[in-house]
Amino acid sequence: MELDQFLAAITPLNFALALFGVLAGTIVGSIPGLTATMALAVLVPVTFAMEPASALILLGAIYTGAIYGGAYAAILLNTPGTPSAIATTFDGYPMAKRGDGDLAVALACFASVFGGMVGALALLFLAPPLSKVALAFGPIEYFWLSVFGLSLIASLSNGNLMKGLAGGAFGMLLSTVGVAEVSADIRLTFGSQTLIGGFGVVGALIGLYCIPVLIDLVAVPGRHLKVEENVKAVRIGDAFRLALQSKFNLVRSSVIGTLIGILPGAGGSVAGLVAYSEAKRTAKPHQKFGEGEAGGIMATESANSATVGGGFIPTLVLGIPGTPPDAIVLGALLVQGVRTGPAMFTQSGSIVYTFIYGLLIATILMLPTGLLIGRYAYKSIVTIPKAVLVPTVGFMTIIGTFSIRNSVSDVIIMLCLGVFGWVVAQFGFAASPIVLGLILGPIAEQGFVQGWIIGDATNNLFGMFFGRPISQGILAFTLITLILPIFLARKKSKLNVELES
Amino acid sequence: MNRSTARSQGQLGSLIVSAMFVLAGAVTLYDTLSYTDRDSRVFPQTVAIILIVCASISFIMRFIKPTGEGGFGQGIWWRRVLLISTMVLTCLVMPIVGFLPAGIIAFAGGLIAAMHDRWTLPNILIYWGAGGIIMLVFYTLFKFVLNVPLP
Repeated sequence: MELDQFLAAITPLNFALALFGVLAGTIVGSIPGLTATMALAVLVPVTFAMEPASALILLGAIYTGAIYGGAYAAILLNTPGTPSAIATTFDGYPMAKRGDGDLAVALACFASVFGGMVGALALLFLAPPLSKVALAFGPIEYFWLSVFGLSLIASLSNGNLMKGLAGGAFGMLLSTVGVAEVSADIRLTFGSQTLIGGFGVVGALIGLYCIPVLIDLVAVPGRHLKVEENVKAVRIGDAFRLALQSKFNLVRSSVIGTLIGILPGAGGSVAGLVAYSEAKRTAKPHQKFGEGEAGGIMATESANSATVGGGFIPTLVLGIPGTPPDAIVLGALLVQGVRTGPAMFTQSGSIVYTFIYGLLIATILMLPTGLLIGRYAYKSIVTIPKAVLVPTVGFMTIIGTFSIRNSVSDVIIMLCLGVFGWVVAQFGFAASPIVLGLILGPIAEQGFVQGWIIGDATNNLFGMFFGRPISQGILAFTLITLILPIFLARKKSKLNVELES
Repeated sequence: MNRSTARSQGQLGSLIVSAMFVLAGAVTLYDTLSYTDRDSRVFPQTVAIILIVCASISFIMRFIKPTGEGGFGQGIWWRRVLLISTMVLTCLVMPIVGFLPAGIIAFAGGLIAAMHDRWTLPNILIYWGAGGIIMLVFYTLFKFVLNVPLP
């Protein structure tokens, strides 16, 4: 039966839809401000007239492409095209600045394809048992997961932990502006109608990452990125060799991405951050994460791409969409008359399996299309004169931010955050901890408050926060992430002193 | 800018940013007093206290052990100001004149700010022509393909 579905997935029409979806998704994802959600929402009505499996293949391919496309802007402009690519900026942009942007783009492509394949294979073979993971995670587990993501601040603080923690806390405060999710109090708006909607994550990302780069670019002459004499094509051979060397990192990050993708509400940004944190924690002494380390890009990109397949597991098996794009796909499924649930794999097996094979094919197609688009994106960014690049990116930041909520106020907030981010960065307060706080703040708050309410009601606050096995596991990893570098640094300095004496 | 000026600028700026974060934490704590529900208060209060503690430690450390790190460094200020001010101006006039004319202001500001080469006729024609095409393409994509209601 499954061979029939595989053959159905590779009909010329479905193959063409997968190719078109990956291309469109990659281009959309590479433009800061345009998200996978927006691309899917625009194209959903087009799919209503299609066969259910073809419609799903198109939507899945767009989603896959958009998650990968976010890496281009992250690597070449220090601006995550989508929130999933936040951690890609940590090493991608330093790599591009030192002249290895072509290598970084190829690495991102290999990692995305690998991660996407792992996620899709998990969806194909392990969907029903893995869907139980989503149900095992309560509010406290989400809270600890966000704390684990926040522990990354320690390594993003440029040697000043207090400044990093202050930045992270400030980012979390920014995330509380507007209407409180739990109890609908209006917070920190100071009477302003504009702030009631809070800070949009995408606008804030564009402001905090992209505007400081533009401010620095215009101030000095010279090229945007360091370029070799002859601009090469994308360095496939080097990237493949590095990917092979980092195979364990790739597998681990893809598994992390799949598992986090299963958790409703977590999504690609959290997966990328957690995988990056793990890759950094287990790094060898010579690996310099945050300074252009290939492993950082591979961890993030494989994890965020794996969330695509992972996110479809609770969507299809439980009818619980993990992310906004999953919710759109779920809506398209319902319109097509397909009912989700544990019996879906048997009752609507022909549609589901054709879709999963289509997703696998789309992921494989991402390799040639991603490398091809990456080659032109890299060449364009490094050869385009700065006098055209800066206003183009500036124009894109305005139109991209406006399009999220159709609001001029969002653009002004984005600019204010950008100038603020640039000013504080000059004095050692990096933008990344602020962004981390802004992204993880809502997840942490919701989990914290819900856990607090349940713990308070059951008279077991301590047990609620520290007594659950999954929480304990995540807490242990968080403590290891925070303490191990300090312990190793002390051990190393002690060893150096002994050697000198 | 000489080294001692940069050093004092870095020191002073770092102290000001730390103090600003402490102030932001204090303002948050004050704001939380007006919330009706305890569930709305608990998280911002906790985070505000963390912010105040971390920013205060950063302030004190910098005060006790002054270093020359930080500062605005090199670069031409009028270009930075021009870039940001034209982007802000774009936002202000957008509801009045529409997206595309307002976008031209931002593009022109960015182009002039980033132009470090000598202006020549071919440069002017190519850069402004490329700018016009890019803006039209993005405007069409967002307005007519993605149906974003651009003003």
